[in-house]
Amino acid sequence: MDVASRCFHCGEALPATPSWVELDGLRAPVCCDGCAAAAAWIGGAGLGDYYRLRQREAPRVASHADDYAAWLHPEVLAEHAHRVANGWELTFIVEGMRCAACAWLIDRALGRIDGVLDLSANAVTGRVRVAWDPQRVDLPTLLQRLASLGFTPQLATGLAREQGHRRARRSDLMRLGVAGLGAMQAMMFAEALFLDTRGEMPLATRDFLRWIAFLVSTPVVFYAGWPFLAGMARELRGRRLGMDSLVAVSVLLAYGASLVETLRGGVHVWFDAAVMFVFLLLVARQLETLARRRARARIDALARARPALATRESDDGTLRQVALAALQCGDVVRVAAGDALPADGEVLDRAASLDESLLSGESRPVTRQPGEVVLAGSVCRENGLRYRITQTGSDTRLADLVRLVERAQGERPRLARLADRVAAWFALAMFVLSALVFVAWWQLEPARAFEIALAVLVVSCPCALSLAIPTALAAAHSSLARLGVLAVRGEALEIAARVDSILLDKTGTLTLPTPGLASIHVFAPAQAEWVRSVVAGLQRDSRHPLASAFQFVDAKPAAMLDGVESVPGQGLRGYLDRRELRLGRGDFATGACDDGAVWLGDGHTPLARFELTQVPRGDAAETLARLRAQGLALEISSGDGEDAVREVARQFKVARWSARQSPALKLERLRALQQAGHCVAMLGDGINDAPVLAGADVSFALGEGAGLAHRAADFVLAGTSLRALPATLALARRTRRVTRQNLAWAVLYNAAALPFAALGWVPPWLAALGMALSSLLVTVNALRLLRVDA
Amino acid sequence: MNILLLLVPLSVVLVGAAIWAFVWAVRGGQFDDLDAPPLDILGDDMLPRPERRDPPP
Repeated sequence: MDVASRCFHCGEALPATPSWVELDGLRAPVCCDGCAAAAAWIGGAGLGDYYRLRQREAPRVASHADDYAAWLHPEVLAEHAHRVANGWELTFIVEGMRCAACAWLIDRALGRIDGVLDLSANAVTGRVRVAWDPQRVDLPTLLQRLASLGFTPQLATGLAREQGHRRARRSDLMRLGVAGLGAMQAMMFAEALFLDTRGEMPLATRDFLRWIAFLVSTPVVFYAGWPFLAGMARELRGRRLGMDSLVAVSVLLAYGASLVETLRGGVHVWFDAAVMFVFLLLVARQLETLARRRARARIDALARARPALATRESDDGTLRQVALAALQCGDVVRVAAGDALPADGEVLDRAASLDESLLSGESRPVTRQPGEVVLAGSVCRENGLRYRITQTGSDTRLADLVRLVERAQGERPRLARLADRVAAWFALAMFVLSALVFVAWWQLEPARAFEIALAVLVVSCPCALSLAIPTALAAAHSSLARLGVLAVRGEALEIAARVDSILLDKTGTLTLPTPGLASIHVFAPAQAEWVRSVVAGLQRDSRHPLASAFQFVDAKPAAMLDGVESVPGQGLRGYLDRRELRLGRGDFATGACDDGAVWLGDGHTPLARFELTQVPRGDAAETLARLRAQGLALEISSGDGEDAVREVARQFKVARWSARQSPALKLERLRALQQAGHCVAMLGDGINDAPVLAGADVSFALGEGAGLAHRAADFVLAGTSLRALPATLALARRTRRVTRQNLAWAVLYNAAALPFAALGWVPPWLAALGMALSSLLVTVNALRLLRVDA
Repeated sequence: MNILLLLVPLSVVLVGAAIWAFVWAVRGGQFDDLDAPPLDILGDDMLPRPERRDPPP
């Protein structure tokens, strides 16, 4: 698809009759009024450079404007904002900020408004920090300006957590800086000592240099290396040995032995080994956590799990958006499908299907009958929910949820845990062995016993072993970030290397999420205007991708429509004056057979027929070709009609496909593949894919897809491009290869050098040199993963 | 080699200064965002600030 057939602003497919905007003397097509207004404003404000600077398309501008007045609620401000001179400062998440140019645009767009005191937009974390003077400008005005450009503001996770994140990020950086600068300096002095190979240096100079090296390496070991020391203390308290103990013991041994040697004027010191080890490990570990933290900041599970606003129903039935803090026990609240519940309560009216996976870990949705308890943080599936609040604020299970999410975020990748387990045994074996060597040499030649035991410890120091996996993961995550892939779960990369089959969703994944509406045929006696308002009413609460095709309906939704619910894989149903109306597949809506079009009917008689066309994604064909070249078995599994799926399968030359798949059927197909011994990846975008995404060995969700899909996925492909998928799988395979090479080398080196050291053939300086070279080799090998051909 | 007695402590002092400068920069938020600021310098001269938006010549 060429560029001219896409919206200039958001890159989505154009409707049959696009609007046009003038920009810097150019006429450009846009897809909707929202995008037209955004592009015109950007052009008019002299910010047209945005279109040249950006690396990804802008988010599509929603046609409806949200009301952000609830953000000014005193309790919202108390939790999220703090006072600065002349005003308030607030940090919030902005959805749709995809690259640095977006941050640039936001900075320019808001920073120019009178009354904005300070502003910074960070595309990496997706956060905007704004300070404003309430006397001169209103916060909702600022937020609406953002929304009018297509960026959706959302409240972040609260002042305390946001500041905690920032503090942790900064202290990590400071440790890294101290380690880097200190290690360089210590290396310099160590080198002077190294170069004195014939022992010609005067003793006073030698000791002076040693004491200086001691001075420089002390803060590196105890300040920069603090995470390892604290980790060791934690592991010792838990009575288990792990990687942190191993690292901390190695560092402390090298440091302590050097101090002893300095004091007693021994032959060799290893301050350089101690500090370089701390520095290299810190770099590797922090690059990895940084990459994962970036990914998480974007799709902050907690931020979404806890909506800032709730839709409260007052006594006369009118709906009002209120701040979460304004909710009280006894209030009746409505929640749309795909949104999270704001507080604990009990279900009214009718049963609801809820995803409580964040609370219970159970990925299948549970059905709650009227009267049953529902919990804040669970996500409403399929149908909207109406319920009465019984507990709010700190009484809810949200406090537990916070802990749960934090624990999930703190969990280390399985690959790293494996290294931990290996390290525990390794460490124990090494200590025992060194002790044995020391005792044996004490019998033979007491003068050399200490030196040789030290050489054994240094040779066997598992630096390379402990660097092997973290460096590879760090390099791989950094490459992923450049590919535009957010890795949500750490161990997913390891599993992605084993994938041999891929299950593909069609709508929204291989084709654009919004099908174009080709034609409407209205059957008498129905009136076109009536049909439009009914369709508008039915699709209003639905998040199904098909529903957005009906957003032509600027018509006023039929007010008396009630009991609207979605029937998975079938369509929508609701009641108008007690008459049932159905919108969906032919057999569901009219009782006739299914012909691929969408019908409106009452279950027997057809009222209208909507012909939809699907628009394939521009890079889908190329992506599938590359996946096939990687030896993966492709299969399309779609909830769509047979003809549509066959057409797409033919177009992309995919032999295996199935149509009319409900989420349950998709999951069944997935399980069947897994039973047959395949390692299956799933690529999807919608809420209906969430169970399959959660069930797959490794799952990819599209960045523009539903929030629930993000939460269930292992990887989120940012933007609208599929091309990152084969690149990610290739990278995963390379990562596996590199970690294997690294582990093999580390174990081989240690095993080979150990006997020589135990026999007393390896002087301590050679042991230290060997250790440094071995670590370097492992690191350089891992750095090969930084090369990506996107 | 007495010059070492001066130069080596001097280098340690310099490292101390470098670490202090780094910590100061981190605390000041200089490293919080490394992507957007590079773009800031690109367009500004071409763009009129809206407070004094002059008609284009």
